[in-house]
Amino acid sequence: MKITREEILHLAKLSNFKLEENEIESLGSDLENIIGYISQLNELDTEGVEPTYQVFEMENVWREDEIKKQEATREELLALTSESVQDQIKVPKVL
Amino acid sequence: MKYFPTIGIECHVQLSTKTKLFSEVDNDARGKEPNSCVSPVDYALPGMLPRLNGEAIKFAIRAGRAMNCEINTSSRFDRKHYFYPDSPKGYQITQFYHPIIGEGYVELPEDGKKIRIEHAHLEGDAGKLTHFDTYSLVDLNRVDTPLIEIVSMPDMHSAKDAHDYCKTLWRLMCFAEVTNGDLYNGNMRFDVNVSLAPEGSDELGTRAEVKNLNSFKSVERAVEYEIKRQSKLLDKGEKVIQETRGWNDATGETTGQRSKEEAKDYRYMPEPDLPPINLSEEFIEAESKKLPLMPKDYREKFNGKIAEDTLEILLDYPALMKSLAEVKDVKRVSNWFASVLLAEEKSAEYLNDLPTGKQLNDLAEMTERGELSSTGAKEVFLKFFDPEMSKRDAKTIAKELGVIQENDLGELEKIVDKVLADPATKQAQEDFKNGQEKVIGFLVGQVMKESRGKANPSSAQQILRKKLQ
Repeated sequence: MKITREEILHLAKLSNFKLEENEIESLGSDLENIIGYISQLNELDTEGVEPTYQVFEMENVWREDEIKKQEATREELLALTSESVQDQIKVPKVL
Repeated sequence: MKYFPTIGIECHVQLSTKTKLFSEVDNDARGKEPNSCVSPVDYALPGMLPRLNGEAIKFAIRAGRAMNCEINTSSRFDRKHYFYPDSPKGYQITQFYHPIIGEGYVELPEDGKKIRIEHAHLEGDAGKLTHFDTYSLVDLNRVDTPLIEIVSMPDMHSAKDAHDYCKTLWRLMCFAEVTNGDLYNGNMRFDVNVSLAPEGSDELGTRAEVKNLNSFKSVERAVEYEIKRQSKLLDKGEKVIQETRGWNDATGETTGQRSKEEAKDYRYMPEPDLPPINLSEEFIEAESKKLPLMPKDYREKFNGKIAEDTLEILLDYPALMKSLAEVKDVKRVSNWFASVLLAEEKSAEYLNDLPTGKQLNDLAEMTERGELSSTGAKEVFLKFFDPEMSKRDAKTIAKELGVIQENDLGELEKIVDKVLADPATKQAQEDFKNGQEKVIGFLVGQVMKESRGKANPSSAQQILRKKLQ
């Protein structure tokens, strides 16, 4: 399967990646290999087979609706961000 | 040319669970400082895993039942990918493929119109952004507050339909007790899709979506505006662009939001961190039974006891309806509430702290026994909302206000005698004896004056008539 330059740029944008020129090409061939490998599965007849969403046979893993005191404080968490102002996280202007 | 509008609405309802959808953090950030209700899960720190709040599932079942919806026995979560600073994960956890709430309908009370519900799903809310000149600030308190997004079918065809649907939905969610329903603070937000087609045409026109409306009025006005705007475009032979538009409440206009260069591409995929929800019929049934009385139940219950138009006003106050349900003399008490809400122009906030069933029943009984005049009863009723007096019982307040009517007949008789002995009433007594019925009102008035308003007028009249025979 051929992956176009436009598709790579589109994916990079969606994923918030900044790509160098030489990376665009090598990523393209890497992705082609990966998809080519996976698409071997297309040869199988999956008519009437439920899709596998998860490999663990778990269901209904819920918790009680009770507030637990958090170990990480607001200050500790805010300290992980690049900049905070008035206890809020400062980011470049978005609108 | 005449055009036929078609409207579909998506509504986000914030659920009032104690904790967030995926973390054990306080979900009620009202009046709390920014980023004070957050955890490493909300920050999406590496390795953090979501843990599903079971209560949100129960809330969703109740919400679904309030809209006559099927509850799907099997549902699961998906990731919706996008980058925006209000969402540290880089994706929203939602239910794209298998929502918990299936098809149903909402009935508009005024005309009985049924608006079908396509489905409704559980998802996490995003954080809050505040924009400044050169930067934006992010508050994560709202991240992963549980939401249900209710998607209607395009069954509405006027601004009024849209308004009534949103209001009906608001009532249903409030009565189902799944949300605080505070519109001002964004507990319910509406995205409205409007399209026009030439009258008689079978095909729908291109739609524009007005996002993030937070009042019924703005929904109504935005639809009116869109119908006008799109009609003008179509009249000129131009095309309506499929786009997202923002609403400006001050100008009453919608404006196109810079369309994203890329078409939406959310790359939905099953959420691997959350196992599926598989509900038994018994579980769904048990939760459905917990659905409190809905507006239609109250209409039935109070049919004939509360005038229809009064009831429609009171139905905007779910807590009030709940306390009315405990009241014996519903007719009398509902009139007090209605007159307070209308005449006194009290806001809903005023009714936050409602009188208890006992206070109301006592007051109604005192009035029934003639211990209070209707004016006196209303004075006491108003004091139920006075923070300084609200906790006292009806009798204490009545005594304090001095509005208890004189029912001691011996005492009353003395007052009547005194009035009759007053030379100023001689002429009136003569006139009454000569058949002038109306004069009795004057005499009763004198008794009331003498008792400083505490006499029971009908007892006073009885005694007067007896004495003047």
